[in-house]
Amino acid sequence: MISAQPHILVIDDEPQILRALRNILGAKHFRVSTASRGEDGLAMAAANPPDLIILDLGLPDIDGFTVCSRLREWTHIPIIVLSVREGERDKVRALDEGADDYLVKPFGIEELLARIRVALRHTVQSQGNPEAVISAGDLIIDLTSHVVTRAGEEVKLTATEFKLLAYLAQNAGRVLTHQSILNKVWGIEYIDNVEYLRVFMSQLRKKLEADPRHPRHLIGEPGVGYRFTLGE
Amino acid sequence: MMANKNQQVIRSILVYFAAVLINLIITVPLFFLRERLNTSTIALIYLLPVLLSTVFWGLLPGLLTGLTAFFLFNYFFIVPYYTLFVHKAEDITVLLIFFLVAFLISQLVGRVQKNLSLATTREIQTTRLYEFNLALTHAGTLQEVAHVIANHIKEAFQAQYVMVDAVLNSETGCHDHIPADGAPPAGKPVIVMALQTPRAFLGEVHIWREESRLDVFEEQMLHTFTSQGALALERIELAQSETRTRVLEESDRMKSALLSSVSHELRTPLSTIKAAVTSILSGEVEWGSEAAQDLLSAVDEETDQLNRLVGNLLDMSRIEAGALNPEINWNELSEIVESALHHLRHELDGYTVTLDLPDNLPLIPVDFMQIERVFTNLFSNSAKYASPGTEIQVNARVQNGQTVLIQVNNQGPPIPEDHLERIFDKFYRITNAARVTGTGLGLSICKGIIEAHGGKIWAENLPGRFAFNFSLPLTRKGKPQAAVESET
Repeated sequence: MISAQPHILVIDDEPQILRALRNILGAKHFRVSTASRGEDGLAMAAANPPDLIILDLGLPDIDGFTVCSRLREWTHIPIIVLSVREGERDKVRALDEGADDYLVKPFGIEELLARIRVALRHTVQSQGNPEAVISAGDLIIDLTSHVVTRAGEEVKLTATEFKLLAYLAQNAGRVLTHQSILNKVWGIEYIDNVEYLRVFMSQLRKKLEADPRHPRHLIGEPGVGYRFTLGE
Repeated sequence: MMANKNQQVIRSILVYFAAVLINLIITVPLFFLRERLNTSTIALIYLLPVLLSTVFWGLLPGLLTGLTAFFLFNYFFIVPYYTLFVHKAEDITVLLIFFLVAFLISQLVGRVQKNLSLATTREIQTTRLYEFNLALTHAGTLQEVAHVIANHIKEAFQAQYVMVDAVLNSETGCHDHIPADGAPPAGKPVIVMALQTPRAFLGEVHIWREESRLDVFEEQMLHTFTSQGALALERIELAQSETRTRVLEESDRMKSALLSSVSHELRTPLSTIKAAVTSILSGEVEWGSEAAQDLLSAVDEETDQLNRLVGNLLDMSRIEAGALNPEINWNELSEIVESALHHLRHELDGYTVTLDLPDNLPLIPVDFMQIERVFTNLFSNSAKYASPGTEIQVNARVQNGQTVLIQVNNQGPPIPEDHLERIFDKFYRITNAARVTGTGLGLSICKGIIEAHGGKIWAENLPGRFAFNFSLPLTRKGKPQAAVESET
């Protein structure tokens, strides 16, 4: 379980970023250790496993993707990638290598803190039993009885819509790539049919969101995938 | 090839045989008329085959005919018969004169013949050179010149294989070989000739052919071919380096224009950030006060501005390098527009943004981030030229099922008709630069992105409004979006 002061390991070669994160995260009562090289970071993570790793992609010795995949050989510690690379390919690749989240520099600190909270909560959840009922704002999703209510009223969903919603809600707060959603909900042969996802997502938003054009729960991550937020 | 050579040998043997035979043929009737004709007449008749042989077969067969005629004449017609002895002084004179005349005829006729064939060779040579030079003037690249050289040399020298190799400088060079799909024959080339100009050695021409020796004319021609070819290569290389220099100068000019506008654009937000942060650091403005909060919001907005500027610069360099490579996927237009509006919420504060996007609009095959950048730049541009409090409209409609037509319009001032196209040029600005900020890159980036998507972008003046229009194809890899099976 997580100690009272969660331990965060930051691997980044920019001294100013390390300085800022050490100060800001320290003020938020996190225990922070830092590494400026990939190999050092891997060694530190193995010697003293942290609760979360914040990882830069551009490191002087080995790149962040490699660090990610080498960490995933032995641990499920959540990894949040922080990078100046905003290309869709880099984001998807980092997520495929096992990163839990991806934030483009420059970022707002509120955003980073929210992602850290989600990642840490997810660790707790995956250690206990998965929740059978998920509530997000005025939405209540019952995963066992397949009933979804919005402000107390039942919302009729098709089988696929429910499958899609359930997969997103079970991973609330995390980015799920288009490919992983298509694979999970439709099957491997639909992995490139992003249009399916778009059409069903648009239907879901119409049924579940107060303002489908400004969704609060079913958030799109441009070019990468979708994220379900609990909207707290 | 070997067969050809054998044929030639056989042909020349036949010619010499004929040169002898023609005398024998003429000797038979003369032999029977020997008593009725005097020796001078016979000598005159014997001159005929000498003449014919020289005219038809050339100098050497002519001489051979002359020589055999001399012996036949002496043997059969000069007393005593059937010996090569001569008794009468008169006969000796006839014989000597015959020999002299035969020799002179074959010499003279032979020379005429030789001159004629020489003239023909020269004519062929001149035609070849003319065609070669003509082809060279039409060649526009080093590769084309190399091809012309190889091609013409192969024809003119009956070569089996010709290879041209030239190196102009460390970067450029060319290579060609004819036939294009063949490998060089085994063994060394029989002729290697330098491609040389008065200034430099450029490369070599390698020729493989049956005949390893060049005659005088061929050698002359090959020299002319290679020196003309080398000059053509040099001419093109000079023209190219001149173009390169001009391009470099132009890009230098662009770069300094970019640097001056970028440094201005970078310094403006940086000075806001510096001023805000130092005032808070120094304690002049109380931490947590409303003023401090306001200053920090300004810092937040200015960093976003800086980040967008960097994004635009990166896009510009990608467009210039032709490396935009949109990652096309099916996207919802409204999601893209909302995302752009979210990123620009501070800048668009005070403007009313109205979206008129039909509910049944199909998905569009685009790169989300790039089209979002188009909207960001168009909104940002609208906010620069239209005054706060006015409306910015976005509308879209499908045009004949093939393309989607999207419009972003604002209540900004109209632009003179003749400037409408030029606003998409780099660094182009219609109003004085002092009032309006910006790098002058935004619209040219929009154009680059839309064109990389296979669409078109243009501007137009509407009554009371100014509009940007762009069209995007609704097909991806030539196919429209596949129908999605829906459920009920």
